[in-house]
Order: sequence, then C-alpha cells, then structure tokens
Amino acid sequence: MPASDAIDFRAVVDAIDGGVVVVDAAGRVVGWNRWMEVASGQAEPEVLGRTLEEIFAGASLKRLPQAIRAALSSGSSAIITHAISPELLPLQTRSGRPLSHDITVSPVGATRISGCLVFIADVTMAAKRERFLRSRQNARYDAVVARAADVILTVDEGGIIQFINAAGVSQFGYPEAELLGHAAAVLFETRDAWTTTWRGALEGPPSSQPTEVIAHRKDGSATYLEASASRWSGGTRTFVTVILRDINQRRATDAALRISEAEARSAATALTELNQTLEERVQQRTAQLMKAEAALRQSQKMEAIGNLTGGIAHDFNNLLHIIGANLHMLKRDVAGNEPAQQRVQKALDSVMRSAKLSSQLLAFARRQPLDPRVINVESFIRDMDDMLQKAVGDGVTVELNLDPGLWNTLVDPGNVENALINLAINARDAMDGRGCLTIEAANVTLDAAYAHAYPEVTPGQYVSIALTDTGTGMTPAVVQQAFDPFFTTKPDGRGTGLGLSMVYGFVNQSGGHIKIESEVGRGTTIQIYLPRSLQSEEELIDIDETPVTGGTEMVLVAEDDETVRDTVVAMFNDLGYRVLKAKDAQSALTIIESGMPIDLLFTDVVMPGPLQSTELARKARERMPHLAVLFTSGYSQNAIAPGGRLDADVELLSKPYSRDALARKVRHVLAGAAERSRP
Amino acid sequence: MSDQPAVMLTELELDALTELVNLGVGNAAVGLREMVKEEVLLSVPNVAIVTREQAIANLGRDPAKRLVAVHQNFDGDIRGRALLIFPEAQSMELVRAVVGSDLSLEDLIELEQEALAETGNVLLNSCLSTIANSFGRTLRISLPEVVHGDGSEFFNLTPWPQIDDSVLFIYINFAVRRGNIQGYLAMLLDLPSLVTLKELLASYIARMGGTTPPAPSDAG
Repeated sequence: MPASDAIDFRAVVDAIDGGVVVVDAAGRVVGWNRWMEVASGQAEPEVLGRTLEEIFAGASLKRLPQAIRAALSSGSSAIITHAISPELLPLQTRSGRPLSHDITVSPVGATRISGCLVFIADVTMAAKRERFLRSRQNARYDAVVARAADVILTVDEGGIIQFINAAGVSQFGYPEAELLGHAAAVLFETRDAWTTTWRGALEGPPSSQPTEVIAHRKDGSATYLEASASRWSGGTRTFVTVILRDINQRRATDAALRISEAEARSAATALTELNQTLEERVQQRTAQLMKAEAALRQSQKMEAIGNLTGGIAHDFNNLLHIIGANLHMLKRDVAGNEPAQQRVQKALDSVMRSAKLSSQLLAFARRQPLDPRVINVESFIRDMDDMLQKAVGDGVTVELNLDPGLWNTLVDPGNVENALINLAINARDAMDGRGCLTIEAANVTLDAAYAHAYPEVTPGQYVSIALTDTGTGMTPAVVQQAFDPFFTTKPDGRGTGLGLSMVYGFVNQSGGHIKIESEVGRGTTIQIYLPRSLQSEEELIDIDETPVTGGTEMVLVAEDDETVRDTVVAMFNDLGYRVLKAKDAQSALTIIESGMPIDLLFTDVVMPGPLQSTELARKARERMPHLAVLFTSGYSQNAIAPGGRLDADVELLSKPYSRDALARKVRHVLAGAAERSRP
Repeated sequence: MSDQPAVMLTELELDALTELVNLGVGNAAVGLREMVKEEVLLSVPNVAIVTREQAIANLGRDPAKRLVAVHQNFDGDIRGRALLIFPEAQSMELVRAVVGSDLSLEDLIELEQEALAETGNVLLNSCLSTIANSFGRTLRISLPEVVHGDGSEFFNLTPWPQIDDSVLFIYINFAVRRGNIQGYLAMLLDLPSLVTLKELLASYIARMGGTTPPAPSDAG
C-alpha cells in the first residue's frame, strides 16, 4: 500500500497517546514508545533489554510480571486497572503530575507467542473526574449520611447489606464488617415487616408511610425502629436505602405518656369523685346550715310567740288574780246563801281553769316562775313510775332504762313531773293506747358542734331524758310545728295544744334543750337535755300536802299594783297576819330600815322604780338575817335570777295563787327562816 | 435439541478435568493474592457437561436474581467462551473482598466493573492457561468484559460458536471472609472443541498413567 510505504509504523506507535511496551519471550523490553519515554522519564535506549522489574526497580508491579509471564506462556490477556492497583507504574503526566493508568497485557505472535504487548492507557482525566465526583459525593454523603442520627442502611436487590452508616453500627452493636454482605433480615425480629418494607420499596411505588420494626442488637436487646425505604439505582444495580429511626425514646415517652395519661385519668377520676363528694359535702353543709337556720328560725319564732303569749298571759294573770281574790272574799260574804255560793264557786272554778291556761302559756313563754331544786333524775323518774303507768294506761308498757350514776340537775321538779306526764300522754295517744314507752336517762356532753346545729344550746354537760314511743310518728312538717302553742294533731277537744309548748318552754327556761326525732310509722323520741348541777340533791317537800294554817307574824307586802296589793293584804289579814304595805321596793326598804320588826317580806318580782325586788331582798336580809322572803310573780323574766330561775334559797309563789296556796307557802317560808335562824 | 449433550465425558475424564480446573483455580489464587485486600479461597466441587438449556436452568430463571458475568473468549485448539458467573447480589461481596470494605458503597459500585473484570480475568486466565498448558497446547485468551444479565442472555451471546453446543459447567466456591460466594465457571465449547477436549483429556489421562475406559456415550 502506498500509504504504508509513506508512513513509518514506528512513527505511528510513537504517536499513540498511550504507552506501548513490547517484551520478548524472555520478558525483556524490545519496544518502548515515545509516550513511555515521556511518562517514565526513561529513553528507549536506556530500557531496551531490561525487564520491567529492572526498569521500575523499587516500584511494586504486583501482578504485572505474572501477567506478562502468563501471556508469554499461555497466551492469556490481562487487565490491570488503576482502580484496583492505583499508580502501579511510577509514571508522570507532561506537567509532572502522577499519571493514572490502566494496563493491558496481550500475547503477540501469529502461531507461536513470540512476545507480549503491554499497553498503558492514560486515565488521569477520567480518574480525576471520578475522584472529584467521589469526593464531592463523599462530602455530601458525609454531611448527610455518615453523621445522621438515624440508621441509614442500604441493601441490594437480594436484601444484602451493602452499606450501613455509623449510627447503624452503633444502633445494632455489630462492627461494620459483620454487617456488610449479610442479609439485613437477620437483624429483625419482625422479619415480615422488614421484608415488606425493603421489598415494597424495591418493587413498588414509593411509600411515605414508615413501618415500625423491631430489631435485635448484638447484645440481644430489642430496639424499636421506624423504617422508611426508597429505591435508587447505581450503574446496572438497584439498591434500597432504608432509614431506620430510633423510636425507643418515643416509645418510652409514649409509654410514659400513656402512664401519665392513665394517672391523669385516675387523678381526674379522683378529682371528679372529690368533686362529687365535694358536692355531697357542700350539700351536707348546706343541709346543716339550713337545719341550723331552720332551728334558728324556729327558736326565733318560738321567742316571738313566747313574747306575745307571755305578755298577754302576764296581764291576764294579774286580772285573774284580782277576780279570784275578790271571788274568794265574795264567797265568804254570801255565806248562807247557797245559790249565790254556788255561782261564786263556779266563777272561782273558771278562774282556776283560766289561771291554769295562762300558767301554761307562761310556761311556754319561758316566763313562768320556776322553783328549781337540785334533783336526781333517776330517783325522780322511778318515783314517778306509778304515775306514768297510770297516765299511759294498761295497754302501754313503760320501760325504764336509767343509767346509774346520773348527774344531778337543777330544775323545777313540778315542771319536770308535769313535762314527763305530758309527754307520756302524748306517747300513749300516738300509740293509740297500745305499745311501749321507753324512758331512758343518761349523762351526755353536748359539744360545740352540736351547739352549732342548735343555736339555743350552750355546750356542756347535760342529763338527757328520752321518751321513745312505738307510735305512728310524725311527719317533718308536724315535727316543725309540734312545739307551737295550740298546735295539736289530736281530735278537737282532746288536746289543748299546749302540752309540748309548756315542756318546750320549761326545758328552755331551765337552760336545757329539747328535740324531737320522729319517723312516720316507726315512732317518736322526745329528747330532753337538762343542765348538770354540781350541787347535791335536796329533799323535796310537797307543801301542797301541808294543812292550811294562818299566823300572827308581821308581813311586809311590796306590790306596785294597788288592786293586787289590796287583795293580798286582805288575804293576809284574813289568815290572821299583821300586814305592812309598800308600793315599790324603795318604800319597802325604807320601812325595813325604820327598824320595824318584820318576819316576812312578800314582794312582787317586777315593780317599777330604781330598786329591784331582788336587791330589796338582799338588803333586807343584810339588816334582818332571819327575815323570811317570799317572791310572787306573774312571770320571772330574768328578774329573780338570770335564766329566770330562782336561787335555791329564794321562794316564789306564782300568780295567780289561791288563799290556801298562799297560806301554805307562807308557813313553809316562815318555817325555813326559823330553821336558818337556829344556831 | 436433545436432553443430552452431544459429547459426554467419562467419569475419569470428568475427574481429570476437575483436577485441572482445581489446579487452575489454585494458580489463580496466587494472582488474586496480589490483588485483593482479603483472602479469597477457591475450590471446585463439581464439574459437568450439560446442554445449553440445562446450563440456563442451572443458573435459574428468577428474573429478580440478576447475574453478573466476566466474559473472555479463547481461541486455539479449543475455541469458545469462558464465563465466570455470580449472582449479582453476591458479586458485591467479591468486589468488597477485592477492594476492601472501607470504601463507600458508591465507590464499590464504581469499582465493581474493574474489580470483577480483574478478578474474573485472573481466574479465567488461570483456569484456561492451566488446562492448555497441561495439554501442551496454546490458547489465545481475550481481555475480559463484564456482562450483566441472566443465564439465557449469557448463553446466547453472538456470535454463538455453533448450535447444539455443550456447556462445560463448573461450580466454584469463593470462600471470602464474610462467607461463601457461590459462582459458576462456564465454558461454552463448540462440538469440535468438545471433541478435542475429550481427546486431550484422554491423552492427558494416559500420560498421567491412567487408562481410558470405553465410553458408552462416545458416539454421541
């Protein structure tokens, strides 16, 4: 060919942009092109006849000499890449930089292998580009993946771990080398979930929904992870990179949250319960308050009714007293006139009934004159046993349940007796004459809490008397009105409506307390609390049993009402006594201080003037220690003693009184004074 | 297409071939040691001659299990193609063993072609050279080429030597540190080459002092 004649083949070889080295069958260099001279810095004449090991002494040629031998002996071709064996030969670019190169070794010879071609390709540009790309990629990669807090795991299409980041190594506790090349599935307890995750990403559309998986660490502990997987391709291969987020903390937090939610719920439940009980407690307190208010209203009502009735009864009493006294005297005046005497007697009977009525009203109004004595309730009630049994009739069993060692109490015994009889009769009526009346007595202490509920109660020690019947009981509405005067549930004509009113007034006036507990169909308990007295029991004398006698002693009558004064003076005169009169306390004191010998001071409790009758009595006693004093009153109204009760040595005759009652009381008081004057 | 390969090797011939391949693989280890970061131990448990169809079947038809092969041609008294085949999933391990596991996955992917090419090159060269040298023959062996695909693609590369070819199917175990990688060494021979191989094996056995028993399937 003309062309081959024109062009020197050697010149072509020298023009190749790559190293051409030809070795003979013994491995010695027989050809070394221009490119090799430049890259190695060694001219062809210097290298000819030498082996590559000799030419590049000091460099590790790795499998190059072996590849040359194999090419020569077996005709095999070999490739040695810069990727696997970088910078195998110490070659430089024209600018003196290291030259990246791939080497191919091929046998040369048509029938026999006479030599071997070693071709060196400059891949510096490609290698540089690769390195640049790789480092840029690595920079991004490091920033994103290597330092990620999440486990980043790449598996190939076989589920084999091809990559795992530092977080993954620390998460699973295996060294990287023990993870790479192994099926990732062995790490997971929830193998199906894992397989679904990575296979789904490999084969299906991308899913944004992470899957929760449980993995095992090398130490055997379980770890909870949330896996999200995505597919990518590198070259001919497809990979799945899975991001595994450690959700142990979140799970723990969730668990803690669930626990605290549960706690909060139970706390809320507790709070709700508390609220409910709070409501209950508020209701209770409200009920207590309402009860207390009701009790207060009740006592205010009773007070108001008491004031009204007491005021009327007092004035009415005085009038009755005059009427009665005059009728007594009229009766004597008409002696021998039988019809006239009968009429006067009828009038006197009515006066007595009226007097009783007004005394009952006064009792309710807590204005009756009381004559308290120190009594023991136990013996007092036992003494009344027969009387109570008679009051209730044969159909009712009376059971006494009296604590021994009851405290003494200071009360008007007549009123106690009256109260018990009244209550017993009420019980009998409630039981329709058949049943059981239980009377109990015990020592009790009423505390401040109790006193709070019942405004009229002073905390302290009391003797309680409870009368319980097995009768019909009362509705709350009836209980509410039970103490009102003239309130009665009994048929017309059978009850005055004053029985309980009197008991109520008496108990309160005595510093005690009364309450009703009743349930319809079950019965009623009336509970009376009488204040404890530290004094010892007195011997009671029933003066009503004593004979009516007069006397000759000197009596000083102090009475502001002229008509009443005249009436009583006439009574004293009638009984044989000598009488001095005074219109008020001051006048009476003047008489006493005049030195007149006086045996008995008979004084109204309430009189106008600066000097009170009690003060008069005290001053008179100072002057005349043996002076007998007898008070008389329509009512007491704290005049004689606070609480309306008399001192133990103060005698009182309640208005209206009969001539006989006056006669007996006067003798009793004079006898007492004579007793005290004895040495 | 028959179920049987056109030429069958006797048990003795197969044993001899297995021995030769083992030798070649053993020689390959020397070259590999120069190259790889981690030790790779190779062993050849089994050698068989199968039809192309059987070879394809042996590699499996699961499209998800893609394969990677290093391919080299050889020419001389025997002509054909040699393929070192791995499941693609396992080839990464071989690459890792070659280049070291301190490289990033992206680097591995980039180096995969070169690493497989060099590894396959060393192994295939070694096996082919050892067999050729044992027979006292010379082959010309081409440079390696990395091919991805499946069995049917590998065994239908054009130009295919000849129809009704047989496949010398050699199982190879690569024992790397992380575990075994199952690979295959397949030599695709045309009928004349296979006949030559059988003859060469017979004379090799005779030279080694063995006798060639009558082969029933000889006529093929």
